[in-house]
Amino acid sequence: MNMHTFIDFIMGEMVIVSFVIFIAGTCGRLLWTFIHINKTENFIFSYLSFKYSLRSILAWLTPFLPVSSRKKPFFYSISYTFHILLFIVPIFLLSHITLFEEYLNWSWISINDTSADILTIIVILCTLFFVTRRVVVKEVKYITRTSDFVFIIIASLPFITGFLAYHQLFAYKIIMIAHVISGEIMLILIPFTRFFHMFIAPIIRAYTGSEFGNVRGAKDW
Amino acid sequence: MKRYLLIIIIIFGISSIVLSNQQSVIDRSVFKNPQRSSALFNHDDHNEKAELEDCAICHHVYEDKKLVEGESSEDDSCSSCHTLKRTEKNIISIRTAFHKRCKRCHFKVSKGPVLCGECHIK
Repeated sequence: MNMHTFIDFIMGEMVIVSFVIFIAGTCGRLLWTFIHINKTENFIFSYLSFKYSLRSILAWLTPFLPVSSRKKPFFYSISYTFHILLFIVPIFLLSHITLFEEYLNWSWISINDTSADILTIIVILCTLFFVTRRVVVKEVKYITRTSDFVFIIIASLPFITGFLAYHQLFAYKIIMIAHVISGEIMLILIPFTRFFHMFIAPIIRAYTGSEFGNVRGAKDW
Repeated sequence: MKRYLLIIIIIFGISSIVLSNQQSVIDRSVFKNPQRSSALFNHDDHNEKAELEDCAICHHVYEDKKLVEGESSEDDSCSSCHTLKRTEKNIISIRTAFHKRCKRCHFKVSKGPVLCGECHIK
């Protein structure tokens, strides 16, 4: 396989494979989760409420509404920024949209490259903060395992390589290939690792929100 | 006399560099707010290297979304059909037309630039 065939594969078929694994894996794990809940804790369905589920999800989606986030404003402002940019930057990046348009003839609004560059630096700084925090803060260090660092690195690699590729620093071709592959690895890993908290979080909020709202008559944020 | 000759040689040298540089990028004046540098491209050098004889490979003519065989469009600019945004009539935007035209061919023959930064040099 020559270099062109390899690049064509990772930027073509492999993107489709990654999305299929991501979507099928997500659906499969969600299905498995519901089957498991139904088997072991199906009493939850007796008080599960759409209204209180939605109330809890929206409350926890609103920055600095939950009490715990207001108690640690510095940490949460970094965490909110990181999590929002993790989606905003790749989805609205002009280069990504350009590629989408080439392959599928779809396009949508984009952020300009200079803004995307600054936002990418912010994401990288956020991940540096998370790593430092796990090393420096005593109570966080106590519960930190190697995998915590591994997942921060996996999430930051597409941004670090993307930044280097945009500025064409070091070996451009290799960095660009690393960028594409690291993005695909990230996407593939979501359903099978703790990255799945992006889908599990609203389910937990639905459960907790329903219990607090429907049973205890209290707020859960 | 020698000094004049030297000055003439220097002026000729600089102007030839400037002129050759002008020819070796794509004209991107159609883009309102371009985010990347102009793509590297020297028409004559490229076609000589790629051994392209048929102008209509790039300068094609489409009518009702069908390729018109045996006709070419060298005298028109790409953007006269491929508008900035996709429309009913033109389903491929100028940006996508440029990218596809270069990359599809390069992938097919396993030669030439295919990654963003290989054409849009910083």
